[in-house]
Amino acid sequence: METVHRPKSAAEWATFAVAVLIVLLGLPLLIMGAQLAVLGGSLYYVLFGAAIITGGILMAFGRVAGAFLYLAAWLCTWPWAFWEVGMDGWGLLPRLFGPSLVAIAVLLTIPVLRRTQRETSLRGSAV
Amino acid sequence: MMRKTTLLAATIMCGLSSLLVPVTASWAQVPSKNEDPPGEGNGTSKDALPHPGSWYGAPSPSAPQAGGVNAGNIPDGPPAPPSEVTPAVAQESSNPAHDDWPAYGRDSNATRYSPLDQITPENVGQLKQAFVYHTGSKPGPGQANKWAAETTPIKVGDGLYMCSAMNDMMRIDPATGKEVWHFKAGVKYESIPYTAACKGVTYYTSSTVPEGQPCHNRILEGTLDMRLIEVDAETGQKCEGFGYHGEVNLMKGMGESVPGFVSITAPVPVVNGAVVTNQEVLDGQRRWAPSGVIRGYDAETGRFLWAWDVNRPNDHGEPKEGEHYSRGTPNSWAAMTGDNDLGLVYVPTGNAAADYYSAMRSPEENAVSSSIVAIDVRTGSPRWVFQTVHKDVWDYDMGSQATMMDLPTADGTVPALIVPTKRGQTFVLDRRTGKPVLPVEERPAPTATDVPNDPRSPTQPWSVGMPRLGFPDLKESDMWGMTPIDQLYCRILFRKSKYEGEFTAPEISKPWIEYPGYNGGSDWGSMAYDARTGILIANWNNTPMRDQLVDRTKADELGLLPIDSPHFNAKAGGAEGNGAMADTPYGIVVTPFWNRFTTMMCNKPPYGMITAIDMHTKKVLWQHPLGSARANGPWGLPTHLPLTIGTPNNGGPVITASGLVFVAATTDNLIHAFNLKTGKEVWNAVLPGGGQATPMTYEYKGRQYVAIMAGGHHFMMTPVSDELVVYALPDTH
Repeated sequence: METVHRPKSAAEWATFAVAVLIVLLGLPLLIMGAQLAVLGGSLYYVLFGAAIITGGILMAFGRVAGAFLYLAAWLCTWPWAFWEVGMDGWGLLPRLFGPSLVAIAVLLTIPVLRRTQRETSLRGSAV
Repeated sequence: MMRKTTLLAATIMCGLSSLLVPVTASWAQVPSKNEDPPGEGNGTSKDALPHPGSWYGAPSPSAPQAGGVNAGNIPDGPPAPPSEVTPAVAQESSNPAHDDWPAYGRDSNATRYSPLDQITPENVGQLKQAFVYHTGSKPGPGQANKWAAETTPIKVGDGLYMCSAMNDMMRIDPATGKEVWHFKAGVKYESIPYTAACKGVTYYTSSTVPEGQPCHNRILEGTLDMRLIEVDAETGQKCEGFGYHGEVNLMKGMGESVPGFVSITAPVPVVNGAVVTNQEVLDGQRRWAPSGVIRGYDAETGRFLWAWDVNRPNDHGEPKEGEHYSRGTPNSWAAMTGDNDLGLVYVPTGNAAADYYSAMRSPEENAVSSSIVAIDVRTGSPRWVFQTVHKDVWDYDMGSQATMMDLPTADGTVPALIVPTKRGQTFVLDRRTGKPVLPVEERPAPTATDVPNDPRSPTQPWSVGMPRLGFPDLKESDMWGMTPIDQLYCRILFRKSKYEGEFTAPEISKPWIEYPGYNGGSDWGSMAYDARTGILIANWNNTPMRDQLVDRTKADELGLLPIDSPHFNAKAGGAEGNGAMADTPYGIVVTPFWNRFTTMMCNKPPYGMITAIDMHTKKVLWQHPLGSARANGPWGLPTHLPLTIGTPNNGGPVITASGLVFVAATTDNLIHAFNLKTGKEVWNAVLPGGGQATPMTYEYKGRQYVAIMAGGHHFMMTPVSDELVVYALPDTH
């Protein structure tokens, strides 16, 4: 039975914090992004918000797939950003800078999540 | 299973609330005037008016003037008929001495070009502060900061002359900054309109007082409390032969008013012996605000010469007893340009009162608002009018001083006038006729509006022969922020606003985006022109606004009342922002198009630019963002980053013969020097306050100086100071 992974080590606590952060950042993107989509604006924000909330929840459950989901959404952001504003540095800043900082944090959680997932499945098979 | 869900929900709730805490906190810190427009469907209120209709009005235009409006208590005398000017002698500004800067725009052409060449692109990096002079004018204890001195000193011979933000006049030693005399104008705090500003004084040489006698050379100013004052350039004593002991009451014939409603902030030109006055009438107060009348006075005696009163076009005398100049007519607050050869003064006009509602304007007003009007300085009759916005409801009043130049064309040299506008359209006109020298096209403009009975002009003029000082219309993807979240907030604001490009018509049911905004394009800083190289320098803004009309009940809920109402509350709204527009059906809410939580603009940078245009080819020589992020960041915090983001800027450029451009203006509190040919920044220095003024340069005893008033600007949120900072190369003697 799946459950939110209870962090034990500092690394696991940090990973959990990253997961919570992603969910928190994703919520306004999802809610306001849905509002923007209804107003006829860009669909990017609601999709990105939904993707990273799912990723964050999976990470909170100790699943490495959550980290990869965030990273996939982040990678998709790059072509979208260049498509919207081209090579304009100021235009790229809000689209890429913050999400990339978070991506670095997410990358660092991958080894932790891998270990967690291995331990969980070992425990699972031992039952 | 239950526990799992609860935990997840708790996590999410916890996160949500931690997000909401800062949001609500920042909400509470934003003063009410920074609130966004009421939003979709909220421009009207279903409630009945909380007070009887008369409560919202203001005193009858025929009511007597409130106490203190005639600030000098000057006996008015009977209404004066038009009269003839005392013949004038040639003035310093018509042919400035090499070392001097004798007028606001340096010369009567308003070129802001100096022939000085000691400071060059090569040595400008060695500039050091030579001296600082304190004007003594800044907010006192308990006084709200309404300061923005905006002053450019003038220099003639041995004297550097200037005014303080509150109209004291001073003569300063050009080498040391030592005060030679200080004339106290005694302007009261209540007389400050939107801004305590004094852009400059005027140097006048008398035609009747012989050289060596007092008041042969005079320093002249118009004041915030509507006086015209002349003092002796040698002593600073008032010229007894001018007006009533040196003063003229400019509120004579203006009818009902209160202190702070009507003011002079720009230097008054003297054209062929006539002092020409215009006045700022506080925006957004009421349809029947005091008049925008333009008047001429004899520079020798202060005697009334003529009036140009838009709704009394054939009457050039003062109004009869018990009457007043026509109310609510377009006011002109920018610096005018005098043309001694053609006997004209070029008046940049604003809007008729109640800027955002045009249904109550007369055809005469519609013909001359947001225009450049050439008035004959002998008679007060307009010789020609060129309109830059038809039926303006965007506060695109004319902020810039027009610059005179000789434009070579295929048909020979044309005496031309360069007319900058807040729209970023720069018109080039023939000074003799007002006809465009470079092509102007009437292009279709949006007309859709939900304001009843107030149709918009189907076309607007575009100066297609000159490079535009602006960017293309906004798109959703131009919205900006630090992160995707605040950017998303602005994208939603954009989508929830009415926007059909430039001239999007006002709306009651939802906010509309005004772009370019009312800060320009070009504002009062004006432009600099170098006739030798044909290079025109312009610094300009890129700051959209988000506005909404509100019905009278909604306006009352927002506390909007005119300044002369007995119920007026200064904290609710003043000029340039929200306005009651009393006597009309609507009030107006005006905000920058920004994210009010971060106080960052919603459009992407740059917010300020500087452009060099070659007037021979009419092509852009160079153009780049002006101003860095060092003093500006989210929540108004300094970032200390030297990134040239391009900031809003107010204050004009100066060109020197050595190929330098000096400009301060930006909200990073720097004064900058650029290479005229390449646009490369070759020097900058940190000022003690915001540099929202046009610098000037002069030479004295073989040494060249650059002076800038670092007075700050309350609306630009730059630090206020009373310091004139003067730079020079290190003294090698």
